[in-house]
Amino acid sequence: MSRSMERLDRARPDIADTIDRNALFAQIVATAHDHEQPQMSRSNRRRLAIGCIAVVVLCLSAGTALAVTSGFHLFGWHTDTTIVKSPRAWQRLYRDATRQLTLPPGQHWPNRTLPPDTVTSRTQPGGTAVAISQTAWECYWVDAIRHGDAAAGRQAHAALDDLLAHHILVAPSGSPENVAPPAGTRPPFAIFASDGGIQYVRRMYRDAANGHPASLIQSCRANGPAGTR
Amino acid sequence: MTDTHTQAESAEARFAEVFQNLASIVRYAAARGSRDPEGIAAEVMTIAWRRLPSLPDDDPRPWLFVTARNLLMAERRRTGRQAPLDQHQAETPAPEAESGDPAVTAALMELRPADRDALLLVSWDDLTPAQAARVAGISPVAFRVRLYRARRRFEQALSAQRGGMNGSHTVGMEST
Repeated sequence: MSRSMERLDRARPDIADTIDRNALFAQIVATAHDHEQPQMSRSNRRRLAIGCIAVVVLCLSAGTALAVTSGFHLFGWHTDTTIVKSPRAWQRLYRDATRQLTLPPGQHWPNRTLPPDTVTSRTQPGGTAVAISQTAWECYWVDAIRHGDAAAGRQAHAALDDLLAHHILVAPSGSPENVAPPAGTRPPFAIFASDGGIQYVRRMYRDAANGHPASLIQSCRANGPAGTR
Repeated sequence: MTDTHTQAESAEARFAEVFQNLASIVRYAAARGSRDPEGIAAEVMTIAWRRLPSLPDDDPRPWLFVTARNLLMAERRRTGRQAPLDQHQAETPAPEAESGDPAVTAALMELRPADRDALLLVSWDDLTPAQAARVAGISPVAFRVRLYRARRRFEQALSAQRGGMNGSHTVGMEST
């Protein structure tokens, strides 16, 4: 910095105000404020409308192209072409997913990220969170069985049933590996192949609830934290 | 605890962070010749609270300074002070930079108001050039050009001041 600029900096006037900050703060927050989100300007609204129309046209074109080339279409199960390549974007999607899911009492979501130089789909972080939640509840259930805690067992069973009902989907038979559910399916979700896996999981939970937890214990041992089961 | 109550607490916590900039607004208004810098700052904060969702998530100072500038211009209109000659100047309240250094004050007063404001935003108000560009309402690139020219003109004006005051020699210009 030049000496002139340093001199300008040094010449900054010292202005001592006499405002009673606490009183002013209290007075201001006692008044109402706008809770609504900031309104967009007319030009921004116009840009957004044009953008939306362009996206719809693009989706229709892409959907038609996909329907022709792969037999899938955007309004049903389709090939997932969404991409996440930044760890920050991945972590944001993962965090969003964790807010929709539950973990057993006292447990915390592990930090996860996208490894460098990796690309994945936008639904994958949610799938990771679903898998973490599922394993955590399974192992919590195993612990509950071991300690004879019936209430905790029922809680785990209910949580796992909720995951099966709302966050675990089964892809149509013959789907490719990178398949995505119909547009509008609310994330997070994990996608099971149509190979009988979901039926196995349902039977496993039913058996555990009926006093036969061998498969559940095996699942926890295989998927849970190493060395703890 | 209700959602409404939680939202109110969250809004107050956010506003408390914004309110930390009260002294900066007082200084901004005072350095630009406001007759009531504390009143301007209080009004800026009242508007900030009312428009809290509109404030940027990062440093709110550019938003606060723009609001203060608008209030300063309204104050100027109310007090019937001389209107600037052109539109460019009308968008920038002419700073009445009263510094602790008479030569600096005189050099600042020789600059165009927009140049003076560019210098003060960066030097006295501690904004980055990108933030100051938002206050000035121009692109960061245009602001950097304005700032460069303003620095050069200020150095020349300060040199002339020193020459005039000392009456004997001119201090060489330093590079920025």
